[in-house]
Amino acid sequence: MSQQCFQATMARLVVDAVFRDAVRSKGDAALTGDLTSLERKRLTAIAVDRGLDATRMLYKGFRLSKLYATLPLTSALLGEKRLGREADLYWAARVSVSLYYFEEAFGFCDHLQARLKAGLRVMYLDEVLAYERASLELQRPRGNGDSPDVYDVEFQHDPEILLNRLARGKRPRAVPMLKCSVRGHATKDEGVQWHFLSNESSESTNHGLTTRKRVIESRKQHAL
Amino acid sequence: MSTSTLVPKLGIGLAYQPALRSFIEEEKSRFDFLEVVPDILWTNLGRGKTPQYVDNPEGTSFIRKMRNEMVVIPHSIGLSIGSVYSFERNHILQIKSWYEWLDFPWHSDHLAYNLAEHAAGEMNVGVTLPMPRDRETLDLLAPRVANVREQLPVPFLLENNVYYFSFSDEEMTEARFLNRLCEMSGCYLLLDLHNLYTNCRNHGLDPYAFLDEIDLDRVIEIHIAGGMEYGGVYLDAHSDISPPPVWELLDHVLPLCKNVGGVVFELLGSWYESVGREKLSAQLVRMKELWMRHQPAAQGVAL
Repeated sequence: MSQQCFQATMARLVVDAVFRDAVRSKGDAALTGDLTSLERKRLTAIAVDRGLDATRMLYKGFRLSKLYATLPLTSALLGEKRLGREADLYWAARVSVSLYYFEEAFGFCDHLQARLKAGLRVMYLDEVLAYERASLELQRPRGNGDSPDVYDVEFQHDPEILLNRLARGKRPRAVPMLKCSVRGHATKDEGVQWHFLSNESSESTNHGLTTRKRVIESRKQHAL
Repeated sequence: MSTSTLVPKLGIGLAYQPALRSFIEEEKSRFDFLEVVPDILWTNLGRGKTPQYVDNPEGTSFIRKMRNEMVVIPHSIGLSIGSVYSFERNHILQIKSWYEWLDFPWHSDHLAYNLAEHAAGEMNVGVTLPMPRDRETLDLLAPRVANVREQLPVPFLLENNVYYFSFSDEEMTEARFLNRLCEMSGCYLLLDLHNLYTNCRNHGLDPYAFLDEIDLDRVIEIHIAGGMEYGGVYLDAHSDISPPPVWELLDHVLPLCKNVGGVVFELLGSWYESVGREKLSAQLVRMKELWMRHQPAAQGVAL
């Protein structure tokens, strides 16, 4: 039993900076659970080892790479600093439970949506987030072929201008108002095809497909 | 099931990454086999889900195509064999299901844990965390290795882990621990020379002392890679070609590993652009030269 507690505590030292700092400052007194004296000695030594910081950096880097890979447009819209801040808030509230990218992405989407409801103001974030979340829903492996066929997303601003700027890594500014709905379809090659349902210019677009293709490749590059 | 008696001398391998696909297809004459982290080609939907594992059709299609041309070896990361909290038996069954179509001569995973208990649930740290080299750890690992070996009729290798912090008052050196693990469990070793280099560089150890102590007859595969310095710590980042000390280690140890079946180069796909095709090709050419010099026999070896 103490071996299990030891592993859980060591993992917590990596993922939980508040706990790590408590062990650094209070030493053995900050440790709880069924631990032997040797395990306590080892854990207090690990807490002050610079190697723990390197391990934590790798842990955070892996989680961050999942967000860049699965939510590239949201990441571009937030920018490096704000993304880092929001990721830190999200990670403080939710540990990683899986090696896989989708779980992390959906959790971060939930976090951002909750932050928007709580008053976070980032222009276009609600639209971009809804679009990327829908794209992920269409691509998420579910097994037994029960993936949804379509997803609709509402935009208040011209999605082609907005998403194309973000896809090129540029922050969108003064995107024209355009109330419209776009519908995404999962394609056989694991991408997503988007088209307008109703808007002032009713031409269909493959912009979304191009974007999602890039995301898929990026996700795979960083996988594990 | 019993372990196969023959390990083929495959030669030089390259670790698969999606970003390397064009390189793999266009430069396949430069290597003899492909290694793949199978976990990046499936999704684990979680315990209790049916199916639990969903293969990525596009990725597995590429691997199937490559399998028609060369051996493909799985090097998994999802077993978390050292987790006291949980032993992922379904992961072994998933590897077994891949064996049925991939027909690999050996497979491997990491000597580490990434799954741990957290509050009322669990966490997956996503990095390979080390375990103390104590008898208690051996007692945990040995029956698990036996379980893997019962499921698959080919040698199972564990990779010496990279670690950025170490444990006080360990009962064994790393080499002695690995030797005991092999004796107790029947597993073999994936000797990662870049992990060894990283550990020795960060902790002030002598890699040649490790190689003197380790039972090199248990080594079936060798990894090499490159890394980077960050905050005063050298990282096993798979971000570059191998540094000179790793080449020296390979040159030293390769002729001593009589049962080795292959040497694999690992490069993370996101670094391919900065490394470039030429340097990657040159890396493989140099590996091949060393292989031909030290392991010229083409036939397999009986274990």
